[in-house]
Amino acid sequence: MPGGVVTEPATPDLMTLATPYALHAVSQAEHDDIERQLAGAPELVARAFADEVRAVRETMAVVSTATAVEPPDHLRDRLLAAIDAHGPVRQTPQRRDWRSIVMAAAAALVVGLVVVGIGWSIRPAPNPTTAEQVFAAPDVRTVSGDIPSGGTATVVFSRERNAGVLVMNNVAPPQPGTVYQMWLVDAKGARSAGTMDAAAVAPSTTAVLPDLGDSETLAFTVEPGGGSSQPTTPIFAQLPLS
Amino acid sequence: MLEMAARLPGVTADLDALLRRVAQRDADAFAAFYDNTRARVFGLVTRVLRDPGYSEETTQDVYLQVWHNAGNYDPAAGSPIAWLMTLAHRRAVDRVRSEQAASQRESRYGAANVDPPADRVAEAVIQLDEQRQVTECLGSLTDAQRECIQLAYYDGLTYSQVSDRLSANLATIKSRMRDALRGLRKCLGVS
Repeated sequence: MPGGVVTEPATPDLMTLATPYALHAVSQAEHDDIERQLAGAPELVARAFADEVRAVRETMAVVSTATAVEPPDHLRDRLLAAIDAHGPVRQTPQRRDWRSIVMAAAAALVVGLVVVGIGWSIRPAPNPTTAEQVFAAPDVRTVSGDIPSGGTATVVFSRERNAGVLVMNNVAPPQPGTVYQMWLVDAKGARSAGTMDAAAVAPSTTAVLPDLGDSETLAFTVEPGGGSSQPTTPIFAQLPLS
Repeated sequence: MLEMAARLPGVTADLDALLRRVAQRDADAFAAFYDNTRARVFGLVTRVLRDPGYSEETTQDVYLQVWHNAGNYDPAAGSPIAWLMTLAHRRAVDRVRSEQAASQRESRYGAANVDPPADRVAEAVIQLDEQRQVTECLGSLTDAQRECIQLAYYDGLTYSQVSDRLSANLATIKSRMRDALRGLRKCLGVS
């Protein structure tokens, strides 16, 4: 790279960092520094570095057979449910016949009534756009935990997108006359993130959490009727959003 | 690579094609890709994180990333399994470091040991031979080299943290790591 725009020439040290770099054994600052040096390094050096990195990673991929451990089956279920929540990519707009239009209108009416009736509502199916954004986010993170009464809750979320997708698996439905209510809890208190009634708690349920704000925890309570504006019963399950 | 492909019939051969289908949002291909690689990913993540719950979460993150970024896989840059394991290791190390930053790791992980469930018979026969070879190759390293790999790769320390831990200078640690990897690579026949 002739021209002298590089303020800091590739040090002879650079190659000695290829193995630690390939093993993720450098700090973030060093990592950035190495990439900066590589960008300004002679092509021969950059290629030698890349070759070494590749060789290290292929080697460790073979070494990974030595540490192989079967994951529990529920991980597979959870993962496939999360992918499903993500939804298939729409290929071409589907031609809709009158029946689906009527159904959609009816569904919209029902959703509208529910929203008017209780002021807030959980979306029965996640908005693919939000889920899509969450899964695509570079800071996507998953937390999950067991619900004491059975089943698991998993939240896939992104701070950057300020949203999450909740996946509930095999959770027992709430008692008649009650709902499960989700709360986003931050230093200032709890705000409702929606409710799930017995019908909503299918074997696998997903819901979008559109506004995480500064919330640190997603908490679950049992609430009477259509839900409450503040928790009225002890939290029976919670997931840290960190 | 040909040699490796020959030794990993069920794995290396098909992953390329599966990843291409995953990039097209093929959920069946994704499930197959998961089934072909889950034990390696979960095993490595568990080895680094030493906590079953965190390991499950991180494994899920890894595969969500696969689901979303399969299209970014570049065959010219390496094999699919190396791409995947690099991604898995990166995620696990990031998690360890963020836990360390929150200084929770010692108390939360403590001396937690993960009991690996009995290996499934189906993969066991092929894997056993491989595992034996890998174990032998790891055994052929010097103690100092193995210690470096343990601390840097499985415990998630940076090479300068390794040098602090072992009271050895940075150049020594870097060359130990490099020699360890070269030894392994040669022993395993990775070209």
